[in-house]
Amino acid sequence: MDLWHLLFTLALVCASDSLSASGEPLRWPQISKCRSPELETFSCYWTDGNIYNLTAPGTIQLLYMKRNDEDWKECPDYITAGENSCYFNTSYTSIWIPYCVKLANKDEVFDEKCFSVDEIVLPDPPVHLNWTLLNTSQTGIHGDIQVRWDPPPTADVQKGWITLEYELQYKEVNETKWKELEPRLSTMVPLYSLKMGRDYEIRVRSRQRTSEKFGEFSEILYVSFSQAGIEFVHCAEDIEFPWFLVVVFGACGLAITVILILLSKQPRLKMLIFPPVPVPKIKGIDPDLLKKGKLDEVNSILASHDNYKTQLYNDDLWVEFIELDIEDPDEKNRVSDTDRLLSEDHLKSHSCLGAKDDDSGRASCCEPDIPETDFSASDTCDAISDIDQFKKVTEKEDLLCLDRKDNDESLPSLANTDTQEPHMNTQSENSQPWPPFADRIDSASPSVHTQLSNQNSLTNTDFYAQVSDITPAGSVVLSPGQKSKVGRAQFDGCTEQNFPMDNAYFCEADVKKCIAVTSHEEDELHVQEQSCNEDAYFTTESLTTTVVNLGASTAETPSSEMPVPDYTSIHIVHSPQGLVLNATALPVPDKEFNMSCGYVSTDQLNKIMP
Amino acid sequence: MSNKEASLKGLLLVVLLVSIMLLTKEGVTSLPICSTGSVNCQVSLGELFDRAVKLSHYIHFLSSEMFNEFDEHYGQGRHFIARAVNSCHTSSLTTPEDKEQAQQIHHEALLNLVLGMLRSWNEPLIHLASEVQRIKEAPDTILRKAVEIEEQNKRLLEGMEKIVGRVHSGEVGNEIYSQWEGLPSLQLADEDSRLSAFYNLLHCFHRDSHKIDNYLKLLKCRLIHGSNC
Repeated sequence: MDLWHLLFTLALVCASDSLSASGEPLRWPQISKCRSPELETFSCYWTDGNIYNLTAPGTIQLLYMKRNDEDWKECPDYITAGENSCYFNTSYTSIWIPYCVKLANKDEVFDEKCFSVDEIVLPDPPVHLNWTLLNTSQTGIHGDIQVRWDPPPTADVQKGWITLEYELQYKEVNETKWKELEPRLSTMVPLYSLKMGRDYEIRVRSRQRTSEKFGEFSEILYVSFSQAGIEFVHCAEDIEFPWFLVVVFGACGLAITVILILLSKQPRLKMLIFPPVPVPKIKGIDPDLLKKGKLDEVNSILASHDNYKTQLYNDDLWVEFIELDIEDPDEKNRVSDTDRLLSEDHLKSHSCLGAKDDDSGRASCCEPDIPETDFSASDTCDAISDIDQFKKVTEKEDLLCLDRKDNDESLPSLANTDTQEPHMNTQSENSQPWPPFADRIDSASPSVHTQLSNQNSLTNTDFYAQVSDITPAGSVVLSPGQKSKVGRAQFDGCTEQNFPMDNAYFCEADVKKCIAVTSHEEDELHVQEQSCNEDAYFTTESLTTTVVNLGASTAETPSSEMPVPDYTSIHIVHSPQGLVLNATALPVPDKEFNMSCGYVSTDQLNKIMP
Repeated sequence: MSNKEASLKGLLLVVLLVSIMLLTKEGVTSLPICSTGSVNCQVSLGELFDRAVKLSHYIHFLSSEMFNEFDEHYGQGRHFIARAVNSCHTSSLTTPEDKEQAQQIHHEALLNLVLGMLRSWNEPLIHLASEVQRIKEAPDTILRKAVEIEEQNKRLLEGMEKIVGRVHSGEVGNEIYSQWEGLPSLQLADEDSRLSAFYNLLHCFHRDSHKIDNYLKLLKCRLIHGSNC
């Protein structure tokens, strides 16, 4: 037997040696953890290690010492907490007191730890998890639930000895990753928007304070809507709002709409969406004219804004519009103003003249009591011209009346009026004794055309044209001015029967001269000649009405003392005997036209008048 | 036109009022309803306890974080002796060590105890806030937390004095107080020693703030909710 004992122990030693020689690391017993679940008790756990006590399986002890103790005490309870554990019940536990525990056997100390109980709190998991349905969505696809649980039974939360915060985690059954909610103090949590067709798993854990670790998880709660008997819509797939498609189609539609609006010919729609930027506009003015027209035209346009002014001026003071600017360099380019005046379209010429002339100083013609004179920046009578007329004119943009057509028009009208005149006059009783004159005038009238054309070529400076008559049609009949120089040459050769054909109009003096060549004194002739040196005009009417009894009239010719006026007014008309010319009393131009020999220019009038 | 102006003014006033209300709404819960010195104003005891518990919880949270940060920053390579914890200046105060003791102690005594502890920590916290700035390379978070702790502790002290004034039937005793004399240790020349001193102080406060928090929660549940929180 002894031999067998010896062999047995040898074998054991060899085995132990072999075991130790296999390379397995030697692990000492260790205190793995100490925890307190509720701040009232605590327990410590250790591991054995792989030391095998050869001599005797020594007893490992856990010794502890509180702060004020002098000696180490042994663990009061090795059993309650399980194997390799030491349990300290409430009587052995003091909170906020430092403890030190050590693991040792008789000979050596394996491990030591110091702590205080409040630092090793690790609560138990919550219990009694359950859930209730809060509400479901209208589509029946999603639902909200409320999960409730109880705190761990060991923790005395009711008395407030320990406060715990909880963390809930949930996931779908076939998922792997848990979703976490924030830790909170309450023991109930709502879960929103869970899919009713799926099953969920929920678990909760707790901890004392934020700086510590969580305790163990509770048991898993299974949430299944079908089992609860709730009606729901089972969706095979996830229906998500196609945001991407909405955005893409919306952008495309908007772009197409904008392009269509831009390209559409409909001005209304275009104006509605893209309103045009207002351009500065003055009423009654064509913006093109402002761009292209000359400064004169622009001035006249801006000044001409009144409608009814023209009417007034058509009746009154239109004589003054006849004044022409001799200094106009464009004279050569245009027709004699006389021609224009003679044209029927007198309004047009009106505007022609009015537009062109702006420095004549005709302030008097613009009556001050007319309210709408805001635009008359220049004190011209340009404002008088008719707007409508002007609009017609502006279309042509020929305010200077450079159009030849005017001249052509004017000439026949002139001829017409001339022919009319003698006939009219023949109708009067005065005209009877002088048919030859009329005839001559008639004969003279066809040549008016040529004469006028001669006029065009010869004279470019027709200052004044005497208006002889206003026809019933409303046109002005003018007696074209003829320089005496031109006609004088012909007058010289004037015989009784040989009236100068060049001139349709004769000066009274010339007529006298022609008729009675030798009847008068030289000075009279001279005077008459002098008077005819100037632009002397003699109306056809006055021609017809003048009586042969020129002797009477000649006596009253203006004396040579006064500066010879261009025109001599007729003082008395002794029809049919003759005319008495008024030397001093010069006619003031007014509505009724005297059958005067001539027309006194304003300059001469100013000289003559006292 | 005047109608329009009047309505516009009215609207402006309404908007102003609403905005003021919304802006100050946040402060309503944190600001005291009753200002100091007001006589007729009465905040409920439950409200006072709620605020006190919130403050104490927050203070303990700050102290935990500060302690952990300090340990992380300066505790590497240094073996701060845990036994140094024994040298807290408030150890002289007899406080309940477990739940039974805390349940047995009278609430007035407990309140006085809490008040005494708060008072005892007032001065050390002030010095902590000032001295911690002199630590080499102290992180900003620690500095800020030190200042914050000191402020909140003051507020909690005021609140507790109010509660004690309400709860106490008899006279209020100022006996419970523990003088702190650890200032020189915070100003030691040797950095290791100084850091150890800081570590001790922070650890002591970490523990004491937990005590205060626990006691107050206990008292709240006992007095306000009838031990049924």
